Amino acid sequence: MTVGAPLVRAEGLSRSFTRGGRLLGRGVPLLAVQNIDFAIRRGEAVGVVGESGCGKSTLGRLLLRLLPPSNGRVLFEDADLATLSHAKLRRLRRRMQMVFQDPYASLDPRRSVGAQIADGLTVHRLVAPKDAADRVAALLRQVQLDPSYAARLPHQFSGGQRQRVAIARALATQPDFVVADEPVSALDVSVQAQIVNLLADLRSELGLALVFISHDLHVVRHLCDRIVVMYLGRIVEQGPARAVFDAPAHPYTRALLAATPSLHRRVRTAPLAGELPSASKPPSGCVFRTRCPDARPRCADAVPQLEPASGDGTRQVACWRNGEPTA
Amino acid sequence: MQKLLMPGLLLTVIVAAALLAPVLPLPDPVRQDVGARLAGPSLAHWAGQDEYGRDVLARLVWGARVSLSVAFAASFLAAIAGMFLGVLGGYFRGLVELATVRAAEVVLCFPPLLLALLVVTLLGPGADTLIFCLAILFAPGFARVAYAETLATRNLDYVTAQTSLGTPTVRILMRTLLPNIAAPLIVQFSLTIAAALLLESGLSFLGLGVVPPAPSWGLMIRSARATMEQAPLLLVWPCLALSGTVLILNLLCDRLRDVLDPRGSRARPGFLRTLAALPSKRATSMPTASGLLSVRGLTLEAPGPHGPIPVVRGVEFDVAPGETVAIVGESGSGKTLTGLAIMGLLPPAISVVSGEIVLSSRSGQQLDILRLREREIRALRGGDIAMVFQDPSSSLNPLHRTGSPIAESLRAHGNPGHRVTELLRRVGLPDPSRAARAYPHELSGGQRQRVMIATAIANHPRLLVADEPTTALDVTVQAQILDLLSDLKRSDQGMGMIFVSHNLAVVSEIADRVVVMYAGQVVEQGPAAEVFAHPHHPYTAALIASTPEDDIDRLATIAGAVPQPWALPQGCSFAPRCGHATPGCESQAPELFRHGERRAARCLRWREFA
Repeated sequence: MTVGAPLVRAEGLSRSFTRGGRLLGRGVPLLAVQNIDFAIRRGEAVGVVGESGCGKSTLGRLLLRLLPPSNGRVLFEDADLATLSHAKLRRLRRRMQMVFQDPYASLDPRRSVGAQIADGLTVHRLVAPKDAADRVAALLRQVQLDPSYAARLPHQFSGGQRQRVAIARALATQPDFVVADEPVSALDVSVQAQIVNLLADLRSELGLALVFISHDLHVVRHLCDRIVVMYLGRIVEQGPARAVFDAPAHPYTRALLAATPSLHRRVRTAPLAGELPSASKPPSGCVFRTRCPDARPRCADAVPQLEPASGDGTRQVACWRNGEPTA
Repeated sequence: MQKLLMPGLLLTVIVAAALLAPVLPLPDPVRQDVGARLAGPSLAHWAGQDEYGRDVLARLVWGARVSLSVAFAASFLAAIAGMFLGVLGGYFRGLVELATVRAAEVVLCFPPLLLALLVVTLLGPGADTLIFCLAILFAPGFARVAYAETLATRNLDYVTAQTSLGTPTVRILMRTLLPNIAAPLIVQFSLTIAAALLLESGLSFLGLGVVPPAPSWGLMIRSARATMEQAPLLLVWPCLALSGTVLILNLLCDRLRDVLDPRGSRARPGFLRTLAALPSKRATSMPTASGLLSVRGLTLEAPGPHGPIPVVRGVEFDVAPGETVAIVGESGSGKTLTGLAIMGLLPPAISVVSGEIVLSSRSGQQLDILRLREREIRALRGGDIAMVFQDPSSSLNPLHRTGSPIAESLRAHGNPGHRVTELLRRVGLPDPSRAARAYPHELSGGQRQRVMIATAIANHPRLLVADEPTTALDVTVQAQILDLLSDLKRSDQGMGMIFVSHNLAVVSEIADRVVVMYAGQVVEQGPAAEVFAHPHHPYTAALIASTPEDDIDRLATIAGAVPQPWALPQGCSFAPRCGHATPGCESQAPELFRHGERRAARCLRWREFA
């Protein structure tokens, strides 16, 4: 399913925000995303997993250049998004789209869903105005909604239906690359499954490169070929979904898996102590060491780089104890 | 649209009168008749005559022409200019903001009168000058409102979605941003017109606006003042015209804002609580709770446009001492309202139709919470029953140190206030005495939830109601809070807990018994392990199957969505989405079939699944 060179590639991507301090004073820089290398091929689904504040949403927005990076660059095919002219970037946006977390916030409350789905078509002049309605109807059918709903306003829909509308809007321009930022976490369990299955179907039908951002490991495993685990702005582990799930190589991935409640496992191991450190004052060395059950003094000395995991070449892990026998 | 009719008609009458002044059968407003100076109302002069004997009614109508056109033109100009500056400044920020909004704000530093004097000195008095002057004065107000609204709206997902679609910026501003910030601008417009009318009058009153003998309301007030003693009516007419017009404008703009909101104006909840509506049954039989709490036939209604909507229908369950009962369901299942009813904290719009919630209190009494007075429930809350809410960041007062609500709760129930640190240590806060002095924003989400739990358990409640206590937290922190709750249960023998959640996996970790709710009804209940291993209701089974966990390729889904409470199916509420529904299910609403001591399912075919 995945072929050829990467469609989207990020190199040394960093983004910091400044918190506090406006006209006077400089405020505290907050490193949301730090030095991330990332690539996705056509037809590939990559899950980006982590807790709130790990930078996964920022990464998604950087990949689409909805945010400019502080450092590093994003290449779409071979075009550097940062050096493209405003007009060229706008034209390229046809090929990359986003699905947002909250379907209540991502649709304009004052315009009919049909008009919003048609936006991409009219902006990029993809269909003649008289054919727009037909195309909108086809898109609504594609996300399993009744085409007659086009005239309705967003508040007349349930959360799951709104998310379908948002997906139809993203698909209208026939993109190659879609970033879905927590698209199911605001939905009810029974509806979540519908949307996950819909995304899975659309991905294989349309050959999308899909970045699926989520805090829910179980959902990601269902949808994705590859998983990227983030902690405090850095990638700590990445590799094929099954391998990451079955034998997590980084202690954080292990803790995350252990903490995820399960219907079948009755005994849970002791949860990770403490909470995510502030991104404005990250720990020295390995950012996870303050909560890591396996930390050693030397973990505080330097930042571990992503390296192939010992014994599994398909996977990369950023841990100083990579290669040591695990306890 | 009907709402616009009344104020719209009134305004039309005023505007039409002003526009038609030349053709109306009115005397000349500037023709003097000194002989009839200050004459009272007469057949020829309905509103009397002023100090030069001019007809007051004619001057009112002609004055409206000047006053209204000045006010409208000035407000309109100010709105356009201010909106332009505010939207640009708010959307682009940075230097643009400095050049637009901040620059406009400089005007706010001048006293308005001084600015008016300056402009009038430069341009000479007259209606045009007045319009210009008022527009300058009012534009910064619009700029500020537009700026604030743009700031709040520009980062909303639907605006970002337009950017990501590649929509040109001008189009985003015009089509997405402006309509969505229009409501407060309309309100601002109505206030500005009113203010402009008043300021026009004021400036004319001072001789800086309209030049006599041309009439304007402000000039009329000015000249009437001199003869206030002899002819007070002369002052009343222009004042009435002024305040009446201002009121009508305010009303019109308010209604306009409501009409422009596609979601329609929502029903406003009444001020009076309807909780005490149930007749007291104390005299007759009082059911005794077998254990700690017993909910029987709880039925709640919410007001709807077409009559009351049932939101909770005949809910029944028990909680034994020391037992954790989880109420599981999707949004709209009524699980949260059930929890709130137990706390006596139902929102004012929800009314109790029937049912009993009997708590066996610490003093050994059997109390029906639905029939207690507010004062009696307050004595129970924080004592016998306590609650932990979903969002720890919004349920702690940001202005109070975290220790103070705990101390308050302790003292309110007659316990010494110094146990605060001990409680905070008990919920696992690393530095309890420091945490007690911290403000909520200094704590993380998980720590805040620990503080909420400490407040709830301060007085050793017999029953703890936890409404989605871990939903707003990260998984690793969620695991910590679940561990904390289980620890508390172990150490505080006899504390019953009601754990409201949508997450089956979380529930399976903490609950002894589960109550599954769907569309306001209990559809299944029983011991947690048994229900999860062998669900008897198809809904429970489907929920379990759609939980993304098993190592399967495709998730099972439940078709459709939860029915809206105002459009419930006739028979079984779940039948339209159920894979096992028979024609019988669609016509007959099943009761809650009990079997064995501990299990029950609301399904006609439960025997086949059991």
